[in-house]
Amino acid sequence: MAPLQKRAFYGLIFSIAWVIAMVAVFILKGGANAFDEDQSFRLIMDSIWVGGLIVYLALFYTILRKSKLVDERDKLIYDRSPRAQWLAVIFALVAWIIGLSEGFRGQGVPTVYLYLMFFTILSVSSIAGSIGILVGYWRMNRNG
Amino acid sequence: MGKVKNRIRRLRFDQDEMTQDELANKAGCTRQTIIALEQGKYVPSIELAFRIARAFNIPLEEVFQYEDSQGGVK
Repeated sequence: MAPLQKRAFYGLIFSIAWVIAMVAVFILKGGANAFDEDQSFRLIMDSIWVGGLIVYLALFYTILRKSKLVDERDKLIYDRSPRAQWLAVIFALVAWIIGLSEGFRGQGVPTVYLYLMFFTILSVSSIAGSIGILVGYWRMNRNG
Repeated sequence: MGKVKNRIRRLRFDQDEMTQDELANKAGCTRQTIIALEQGKYVPSIELAFRIARAFNIPLEEVFQYEDSQGGVK
């Protein structure tokens, strides 16, 4: 397994754990209603997503700087991975827009949904980014 | 469409059974890339191709050959 491939695998596991943690904290702390009223709840959620994002980015940026571990083939695969991210983000956005416009037609959308929409896009993007790299290695090893 | 072939595996064995790791270190790439090259699953950039040829101390065209769609090797 190439070093970047390993990182993508760890990135995928981390992203899934990150999403589970966010969803669990959100539900256990009282959900959408409590989110609007409880500032400490919002701070906990903010620190989880900002911390998770930093860890996720550090997983990749620390290895991409090491030329002995990552070469042109790895970089080619890494550069192609945003295609998967882009598709996943577009589908997630479409789902949110349809859901929000149908659910709140003629009313204002509560702020918490904007937050949830942002977090969903962020987590979908990080999961799809790791999957894009893993699929890139799989395709390169299979087809060349 | 043509295909780029290489003799890396043969050349490694001809040069004191050089390991994939040693070649990767000399050429400045990873061992996984050498494996992919030997299996014909990756075509390197011009720069890496030159570095690999230099690691063997031979001209580029002795390492890599271009085979066109009619089967002619150039």
